[in-house]
Parts: sequence; structure tokens; C-alpha cells
Amino acid sequence: MTTDAYAAPRTYVIVWLTLLALLLLTVGSAYVQLGWINTVLNLTITVTQAALVMLFSMHLRSAHPLLRVIAAIGFFGIMLLIVLTLFDVMTR
Amino acid sequence: MASALAAVAPQFDDAEQQRSASNLGIWIFLATEVLFFGVLFAAYAITRVRFPEAFAAGSRLTNITLAGINTAVLLTSSLTMALGVHAAKQGARRALVGWLCLTVVLGVGFLAIKAVEYRLDYLEHLVPSVNFAYPGPQTEQVELFFYLYFFVTAVHGVHVLIGICCIAVIAAMASRHAFSASYFTPVDVTGLYWHLVDIIWLFVFPLLYLVSRS
Repeated sequence: MTTDAYAAPRTYVIVWLTLLALLLLTVGSAYVQLGWINTVLNLTITVTQAALVMLFSMHLRSAHPLLRVIAAIGFFGIMLLIVLTLFDVMTR
Repeated sequence: MASALAAVAPQFDDAEQQRSASNLGIWIFLATEVLFFGVLFAAYAITRVRFPEAFAAGSRLTNITLAGINTAVLLTSSLTMALGVHAAKQGARRALVGWLCLTVVLGVGFLAIKAVEYRLDYLEHLVPSVNFAYPGPQTEQVELFFYLYFFVTAVHGVHVLIGICCIAVIAAMASRHAFSASYFTPVDVTGLYWHLVDIIWLFVFPLLYLVSRS
């Protein structure tokens, strides 16, 4: 967990530009009629954006493994909650 | 160095251990925040699977221009926060205060745009239980979408507001020489919270605004 591993300002700017580009991509793709692929595309882009923020801005890339595990548990918990709830709702 | 050592609370061996403990604490808190919003996303998933047409219709009525601008504003505020943490690590006090103030301005800007959006929603009779009016089929299901829309965005807005207050306090502390290159944990921890609020919005945006635009 040493602070020396934090990214340089240039990296933050590149990440920011990438995030903005992905925002344009997700909004643009929403106007193309692709059916259910639209939602998959939007969510894939969102997950990519979230991963960029967590890895660089939130320093997970260089963080102690314990912190990465905790971050993963949070998102794994959500997945479990949504998937298992949907199994119930959709098979009634 | 003496001041850095003096800042270590009695239960810790050294500054590094104290820093690690703070980081662990904020990450556990952030994980609970993720689960808190997770319940809302689960409610969203169930409702959307049951009423896909109503969610498509409701989503088309939301204001994508203002929401898109707001997403960019929040992403930019995340950048200024990251640069603030970097300035703190360098011990650059003035730069730190500057970046934090800019982050506060962008956060307030986000809430202001959100307020304008709520006002437009109200004028378009989209507020459930207040003035909701939707002519088409599945009126009640579309209203359900807007219940979720207002609940999720309002809860997120409260998080933004809390974040703004925290950053303002940190900025005031920074201007009074509270941090140094060897001690800036509060800046770091506040930054992590702000980035998480940003991430949650990254999920809220496509789920509410981009369901069916084509």
C-alpha cells in the first residue's frame, strides 16, 4: 500500500479522456438499433469505465491485495443479488 | 518528520500502519455502499425484466442531453479529485486547495444541472404521486420506472451532496496546513469516496437514460 505507486498526472488525464470517449461511444451506440445488444454494449462500456476509475483513480492497480478482494466482494455481492433474484422472478 | 510521527494515533505502530488501516476502513465502507445501491439495481432489474416496453417508453422521456453533460461533469470532477490527491502526495498545498475547490464547483454544478432536470421533469408531468400523467399504454408501469428514476437519482444526489461537504471540509483543513507529503490520508479517503459516487453514476446513467433510444 505504498503511496509511491500512485499514478502520474498524465495517466489521470489519459484515463479521463478515455472515459469521455467511452461516454460518447455509449450514448452514440444507444441511437443505433441493435435490440438487446444495445443494453449489453452499454453495460460493457460502463463496466470498462468503472474498472478504469477503480484501477487508476482509486489506485487499485497498485493497492494491497486485501483491498482488491474487498472491492471485488462488493461487486460480486451485487451480481449474486441480481442474478439469484432474477432466477426466482423469471422462473415463477 | 516529528509532526508526522505526532499525527499517529496511540493504537498504531507507525504512520504507514495507520494509513493502511484507514484505507481498509474506507474500502469496507465503499463495499457496503455498493451493496446499498445494489438493492436498487436489483429492484430495477426485476422491474425492467417484467415491463420492458414500459421501461423503454419511460427512458425515452428522460432528458439525455442534461444527463450526458452531467456525466461528463462528474467524470471531470473525478479527474480534478485525482489531481488533488496527487498534489497532496507532493505536499503542494496551494495546488491541493485549488483542485479540491474545483472539484466542489463541479460537484455543485452536477447538482444544479440535476435540479434543472428535475424541474423539466416536473413541467413534463413526470413526477409520480405528484403530477404524473402519461397518455400511452402501461401508464402505471411507466410511473413505476419514474419512481425508480427519482429514487435512484435522489439517493445518488444525496451522496454527491455529502461528498461536496467532505471535500469542502478537507479543502479548509488543507488551507490551514493540516496535511503534508507524509500525511494526507483524509484527502486520499475522501477521494476514494468521491470516485465511488462517480462510478455509481456511471451505472445509473445507461440504466435510466439509454434503455431504448434507437
